[in-house]
Amino acid sequence: MSGQFVSELRKVRTTRTAPLLLLAAVAFALLGIVAVGLSATVEELAREDDQRTFFGSAATNAVFFATFVGLLVVTNEFRYGTIRPTLLFEPRRRVVLAAKLAAAALAGVLFAAVCTVVSFGFGLPLLAARDVDIALTGPHALTIVFGTLAAAALGAMMGVAVGALIRNQVGAIVVLAGYSVAFDTLLFATMPSLGRFLPAEALSALAGLPDEGLLTPGVGAAVALAWTLAFSVAAAARTDRSDV
Amino acid sequence: MPPVLSAVELTKRFGDTTAVSDLSFGLDAGTVTGFLGPNGAGKTTTMRLILGLAEPDRGRAFVFGRPYAELDRPATRVGAVLESADLHPGRTGRDHLRVLAPVAQVPTSRVEDVLRLVDLEGAADRRVKGYSLGMRQRLGLAAALLGDPELLVLDEPANGLDPEGVRWLRDFLREFAAEGRTVFVSSHLLAEVAQTVDQVVIINRGRLVVESPLEELTARLAGTIRIEAAKPDVLECALRNEGVAAERVNGALRVHGATADRIGEIALAANVALRQVVTESPSLEDVFLELTAEPPS
Repeated sequence: MSGQFVSELRKVRTTRTAPLLLLAAVAFALLGIVAVGLSATVEELAREDDQRTFFGSAATNAVFFATFVGLLVVTNEFRYGTIRPTLLFEPRRRVVLAAKLAAAALAGVLFAAVCTVVSFGFGLPLLAARDVDIALTGPHALTIVFGTLAAAALGAMMGVAVGALIRNQVGAIVVLAGYSVAFDTLLFATMPSLGRFLPAEALSALAGLPDEGLLTPGVGAAVALAWTLAFSVAAAARTDRSDV
Repeated sequence: MPPVLSAVELTKRFGDTTAVSDLSFGLDAGTVTGFLGPNGAGKTTTMRLILGLAEPDRGRAFVFGRPYAELDRPATRVGAVLESADLHPGRTGRDHLRVLAPVAQVPTSRVEDVLRLVDLEGAADRRVKGYSLGMRQRLGLAAALLGDPELLVLDEPANGLDPEGVRWLRDFLREFAAEGRTVFVSSHLLAEVAQTVDQVVIINRGRLVVESPLEELTARLAGTIRIEAAKPDVLECALRNEGVAAERVNGALRVHGATADRIGEIALAANVALRQVVTESPSLEDVFLELTAEPPS
C-alpha cells in the first residue's frame, strides 16, 4: 500500500495538471476575497456571520478544485491508458483505489491549506485597512480552517470515487458539474430540508459556511463522510469487476 | 517443470462476438514464444486475460502457477507492455518510471539502469508527448524491465521501431531468453519474429490454430518439390498413377509426399525429361498463411 501511495502522489506531482488547478484555486480565492473585501460596505462585513462567509469563501474554491483533482486522478488513467501499467504493477485493484483516495485526500488538504492561508493572509489586512473590527470568534475560525481542510479532503475522495464509477473524463466532468450546479444547488434552494443532506451542501456545512438551512459542521461532517464512504464502496465494486 | 505461463480453455466474449474461444497453451521457461495471428485474431485480448486486466467468461490463465493477480510483487516476476500509448503525454520518460518504481519496490537507481538499457537517457527528461512511437515502445519496455522480471509479455513490441530498433529488440530478446528467462511476444508481422522465436502459438478468430516448436512446424510443411518438365501433363499423370499428389502451378508441378529421387524414377519410367527440380523450404510466413487461410465459402 505504501509503495502504491507514493506512486499515486508522484502521479499527481509529475504532470502540470494539479499545479495549474492549485493556481486556479488560489486565483479564485484571492479574487473572491479582494472583490468582496473592496466592494462590500463596512456594515456588510461587520457581523460575525458576514466574516464567516468572507473568510470561508475560499473553502468553496478549495473543495471544488480538490474534487476536480480527485476526478482527474482516476479519469486521466483511463484517458491515457496508464491504468494498464498501474494494474500490471499492482493487480489488487482495491489497493490501487485506496491509494488514489489517500493521495487525492492529501492533495485536497494541500489545496485547502493554501486557499485558507490566502483567505486569511489577504482578508485580515484588507478588513484592517477598511477599519472593520474582527468579529470572527476563535471556535468559528478554527471550524473554517479545519473544516475546509476536511471538506477538501472528502471532496477529493468523492472525486476519485465518481471518476472510478464513470471513467470517461469528459462524461465525469459533465456529470459532476451538472450535478453540482443544477441538481444540488437547485434542490437546496427549493427544498433545503432535503437538499442540505446532499454531498456539496454537507461539505459546505463541514467547512463552516454560515448559510441558513445548512447542517451544523458536526452533522455536515458525518453526512459528507457517509457520502464519501458510499461513493467509495460503489467505486470499489465497479473497479473489482471491470475490464481495462 | 510446470509451464511459466499457461492458458486453460480461455474464453472471452464481447456481446455477440467471441474474441477468444477455448484457448489453451503453455510456455516453457527459457523460450521465446511468438504469439501470432492476423489483426483481430484475439492476441491482445488473450494477453489481457493472462495479465488479469480482463476477466475471462470461462477458463483460467496462470503465470508461474498462479493467477496473475495473486502474484506477490508481480513486476519482479513479469514485465508486460500491451500498448505503446499507455503513457501520460505530459509526464517525462524518467517520471513515468519513477511513478512505477515504488510499486515494484526497486531503488531509484534502477530507473537509470533501464533508461540506459533502452537507450533513452538523453530523452528521459522530455515529456512523452514529444516522443516518437519507437521511443514510446522503448519506454514501455523500460517500465516492463524495472522489476528485473523472469517473464516478458510484449504485445506487438516492434510497432514503430526502425530497422535498427527491430534488430536491437531481436538481440535483446534472445539475450533475455539466453539467461533462462522467458519471452511471450505477439506479432502480426512474421518477419519480425521468425528469426527470434523458438516456438509459436498461432491463433485465428480467437481459436488455437497450432502450438508448436518452430522447427517442427516448418518441417511439417516442408518437402514440397517444384518440377519443371518437358511434358508436365504426362508426368502429372504418371505421378498420380504412382499415388503421388501433384498440382499444376504456373506451368510447373508442385509435388507433395515424394522425394526427388522417387520423382526422378517416375519421370524416367514415363520418358519425361526434367528441366528443374527444386525442394522448397517454406518460410514461417508461408506456414502462417497456410494455417490461417480462410476456407472457401
